[in-house]
Amino acid sequence: MQHFALEQALNYLIQTGAINLKPLDNKTIRFSLKDLPLDVNFICTNNRIFVVSDTSQHSDVNISLSAGVFFALFKGEDLTDLLRQDKIVIHGDVKIAQLLVDILQSVDIDLEEVLSQYTGDIVAHKAGKIAKNFKQAVQNSSNPIDTIKDGLSKLMITPVVSKLYKNKHH
Amino acid sequence: MDNTTHFGFKDVATEDKQNLVRGVFDSVASKYDLMNDVLSFGAHRLWKRYTIASSNVKTGDKILDIAGGTGDLAIAFRKKVGESGHVILSDINAAMLGEGRKNLINKGIFGVDFVQLNAQFLPFADNTFDCVSIAFGLRNVTDKDQALAEMHRILKPGGCLLILEFSKTDSEFLKKFYDFYSFNVMPTLGDLIADDKESYQYLAESIRKHPDQETLKNMVLDAGFGFCEYHNLSGGIVALHKGIKV
Ligand SMILES: C[S@@+](CC[C@H](N)C(=O)[O-])C[C@H]1O[C@@H](n2cnc3c(N)ncnc32)[C@H](O)[C@@H]1O
Repeated sequence: MQHFALEQALNYLIQTGAINLKPLDNKTIRFSLKDLPLDVNFICTNNRIFVVSDTSQHSDVNISLSAGVFFALFKGEDLTDLLRQDKIVIHGDVKIAQLLVDILQSVDIDLEEVLSQYTGDIVAHKAGKIAKNFKQAVQNSSNPIDTIKDGLSKLMITPVVSKLYKNKHH
Repeated sequence: MDNTTHFGFKDVATEDKQNLVRGVFDSVASKYDLMNDVLSFGAHRLWKRYTIASSNVKTGDKILDIAGGTGDLAIAFRKKVGESGHVILSDINAAMLGEGRKNLINKGIFGVDFVQLNAQFLPFADNTFDCVSIAFGLRNVTDKDQALAEMHRILKPGGCLLILEFSKTDSEFLKKFYDFYSFNVMPTLGDLIADDKESYQYLAESIRKHPDQETLKNMVLDAGFGFCEYHNLSGGIVALHKGIKV
């Protein structure tokens, strides 16, 4: 679920011109979370970013870190500091990693606000809520990938209920 | 070489399957939209909406919707790509394509091209499209591997394939409910509403014969896609596979 929301936000920013993807063109950057069976690839191609967990293909840069450090990075912590403290290991071009981290940190925006413009209110609202609960849910779960996928089902099923309910009372 | 394939639970000669599938969709075309809403309790609209939201499609993109039927995805894509983009709605079946054309005109959607084609032989140059979609269509295609290879060929590098299709649920409860629903309720509703029990029996059977999530993911990767991942929707009753050409 989290990567669905993130992908939406990133591509919205690319489309509005707020992110320039040229320097990362045709690069795949992978975050491997050491303490969770979860890899997240950022595939930068065709002037958009795909965020996927599949690892079939090699990445250009691999960033290996714990889930906690991953979230710290999102919140704006400095990549160089984290590298110096050995909290992050990078295989590949550090400059490319830094460029992506800069972009991810620039997604320090109201996710719900962005998504509501892009995907419609119900989805955005749910996505925002589910994204907020994501970290905790994943950490408490024995199978984080399933947790993420379950988030999607929730997203799909809840609007059906609310929609039907609304229509009935109109 | 084995020259039979399945048509629902029946084995038929490979060369006959396409005609049999055509018969089904000729017969359901005029009631297709109504039946979709009734049979899925309207959920197909949300599955499609999720597909569009996952597509990463942008203004100016070129998109091919395969097995597009009455055009739900094509309509949504048309709105996303804007005037500078290009959407093609395609289907093997003239009756379904005709319903699609009518539907788009009724909804005031213009600027979509219609092409009658078989997913196994796509009449487009290599590296043409930013996105290729197929919703509830792949299970009807006789040679799925060939169709996937064709989709890979016509996508640009960085292009995205979206396959929305019925799949396998892990939930024992959903499985039981769904089996009862699709083999008892679905054909009966098909009989009542569309006067066509056999077609809806075939649709239920073809869903069971379709590869599960992991198998389809491997088929997408074998067709040449660099990445493929799937998302289960409604507990895995439906799955969206997303393949990326690198
Ligand atoms: C269940 S309908 C799906 C229509 C639409 N995509 C939707 O989701 O509502 C399946 C469609 O697949 C088409 N179809 C079957 N075999 C095909 C093939 N080999 N190539 C292209 N389209 C095919 C049928 O004609 C039919 O319109």
